[in-house]
Amino acid sequence: MTVQQVLFIVISLVVLGAALFVVTTRNLFRAALMMMLAFFGIAGLFVLLEIGLFAVAQVLIYIGAISILVIFAVMLTRGMQGMVPRNSQAIGAAVTAAIIFAVLLLILGPLRVTIDLARWPVISLFAGNASPREVGGIAWTPADRAIPPVPETYIADFGRALVDLNQYLLPFLLIAFLVDVVLAGAIFIARQRRPAEVIEERRLRAEEDAEEAEAMRRASASPALPEGAVASAVDH
Amino acid sequence: MNPINDLLKILSDFVAGIVSGIFAFSPFLADLVTMGLAAVILCTFAALSFMGLTYVERKVVARIQDRLGPNQAGPFGLLQPIADGIKMFTKEDTTPANADRWVYNLAPLVIAIFALTTYAVLPFAPGVVGTNLNVGVFYLIAIGSGSIVAILMAGWGSNNKYALLGAFRTVAQLVGYEVPMLLNVLPVVMMAGSMSLVDIINKQTTLDGNPGIPFIVFFPLSALVFLISGIAETGRSPFDLLEAESEIVAGFHVEYSGMKFALFFLGEYVNALAVAFVFSTFFLGGYAGPILPPYVWLLLKAALIFFIFMWLRGTLPRIRIDQMHNLNWKFFVPVSIVHLVVVMALMKLFVTDPAQAEAFGGILVAPIVQAVILFVASMTVLLVSLAIAARRARVLRLQEEAILEQRRAENLAAARA
Amino acid sequence: MQNVLNGIPLWWYLVVSSALFCIGLYGTLARKNAIALLMGVELMLNAANINLLAFWRYLAPDTAGGLAFAAFVLVVAAAEAAVGLALVISVYRTTRSIDPETLDQMKL
Repeated sequence: MTVQQVLFIVISLVVLGAALFVVTTRNLFRAALMMMLAFFGIAGLFVLLEIGLFAVAQVLIYIGAISILVIFAVMLTRGMQGMVPRNSQAIGAAVTAAIIFAVLLLILGPLRVTIDLARWPVISLFAGNASPREVGGIAWTPADRAIPPVPETYIADFGRALVDLNQYLLPFLLIAFLVDVVLAGAIFIARQRRPAEVIEERRLRAEEDAEEAEAMRRASASPALPEGAVASAVDH
Repeated sequence: MNPINDLLKILSDFVAGIVSGIFAFSPFLADLVTMGLAAVILCTFAALSFMGLTYVERKVVARIQDRLGPNQAGPFGLLQPIADGIKMFTKEDTTPANADRWVYNLAPLVIAIFALTTYAVLPFAPGVVGTNLNVGVFYLIAIGSGSIVAILMAGWGSNNKYALLGAFRTVAQLVGYEVPMLLNVLPVVMMAGSMSLVDIINKQTTLDGNPGIPFIVFFPLSALVFLISGIAETGRSPFDLLEAESEIVAGFHVEYSGMKFALFFLGEYVNALAVAFVFSTFFLGGYAGPILPPYVWLLLKAALIFFIFMWLRGTLPRIRIDQMHNLNWKFFVPVSIVHLVVVMALMKLFVTDPAQAEAFGGILVAPIVQAVILFVASMTVLLVSLAIAARRARVLRLQEEAILEQRRAENLAAARA
Repeated sequence: MQNVLNGIPLWWYLVVSSALFCIGLYGTLARKNAIALLMGVELMLNAANINLLAFWRYLAPDTAGGLAFAAFVLVVAAAEAAVGLALVISVYRTTRSIDPETLDQMKL
């Protein structure tokens, strides 16, 4: 067993354990911290993949920005702490997730179901995949295909690909536009409204409700609606 | 090899040689032990410099404020850090009731870890660098955001409203000042054509036909904004709003005592020293310099920057929170973006590399000429933006005065009636 | 023999990422708090990223495709977190609740 294998197993266990904690715990703050740990572990996986750029980007964006945003939101909604972590469809969700995991394992992993009619279906662990499968036209489990090292200039190549008209310029521009829109949108949604604005909005809403009630009353031929119904509509 | 100039290099090679001799059976293990040793040495250096810096800072700030500073423990008070350390060790270690224990106890550890990991990529002398990452600059920025997490943990775990307020302020300040910091590292990265710190230093030396001009000459505005945002990032005075004693007691570390508090203190100083080192690497040429050995040059430059930190701390009052945010979002960020665009255009227009001129066009100039052009452009942006800001500030001040005057007149009228 | 990088075959990464994806899926479907739900979504996006980068590293390290898509996922995740959390906070401010099951009114 190589050192990298040991590291991989340890890191994956940490990531998966942290992720399980995130989706089951009652304490949201700790869930956010554990999510951070999972992100850190994923950065470790990227280091094992020899993609330093993305390991660092992972730390910068997921830990430095997204997790902190999540923690901030948790702090701002303190009233929602400590409630039951599961909703009514939790069992269904667990079953769905388990089924999807099993299917993914069959497609991607080394597991194979050999259906032998004489006996039970046998799930066997493959050491080496006998049948090469193709993904995007590339056979990815043929015998002895050496994995080329990451090119020295992969960061520069990646940067050029992003601004190359024939490669990813358009998606890059689109994503930049998306970020712009999101910035404006997030500020617009979460902005603190001035009290005058809120009062104005409430007044408008009350007027609308009153008009609706009026219309309802007129629609019914006689004053059939009891006084209480109108009042509740206005209240609403 | 000049034995004095390359002292650090010779020492590190010597240690690495011994280790690889002992662990000759497994090169990976030898690497691991060498790295572990290097990490221990770096952390010890950081912790020792923390002790020294507290003493120096207290002395310098005392001088600025016409006091004596520590002078009782040992000659010139030199043993003061040790006395402080003993005091910290013997203090009672308290945990507030209803604190989130895990989070509360982990926070100081996390802040110390993130502060110390910064040193992994800093080059101290030619060939003496923890690891020469090709994304070193990116790494530094990413690790810098880690201390925000620790402060949030401390603020939340303490179960104290002042601590929580301090944590909120921290997020607003630290996340905000990361933006101008990044925007002003970009010109340096573009100029060096690399995110590796060693390459950035090499670009500022006379190696490989480079002009040997530090980047502060190319981008004075970047250097200034980077320095100020660096101070804000480490939460030092005048940007110490996260621990403003007079407003929120002590902010996020109000509940911490003893060694846990000491770890926060260590994190702050180690971070500040790291900013000093990073600034000297980015803008002052790092360890490059004539006559003196490289590590002496680096320490001199870092000491100069740290002296500026202490100077600012001794002379400036703490700024208000709205001023802090206005400075960042209404001044630093727009100015940095304009500066970035201007510098980018000029670097494309005036190139020093014949191959680049051949491929992408542009006017071929000598490196010195390019430096002069960029210096003039950067200074122009700086001065123009300062002039605009000053005019705007004057208008605001006049408005405020008018309102005050009006209120005073109303009060007077009310008092008469 | 299989494609291995430092002794790690590709399917190890795929299994870890699919497990992470399913954990995130469970979190998204079963949590009672909108913020926890967003955390589940982030985990799923991360699982996708592991997949993209692992495939890039093992199969096509000389192109930029995997990196570009992973970068786009990063940006989209950040955007999603920003807008999602802004919405959550806005909803919490008006209704004092961020349980998705109770938010069934089109008009507040």
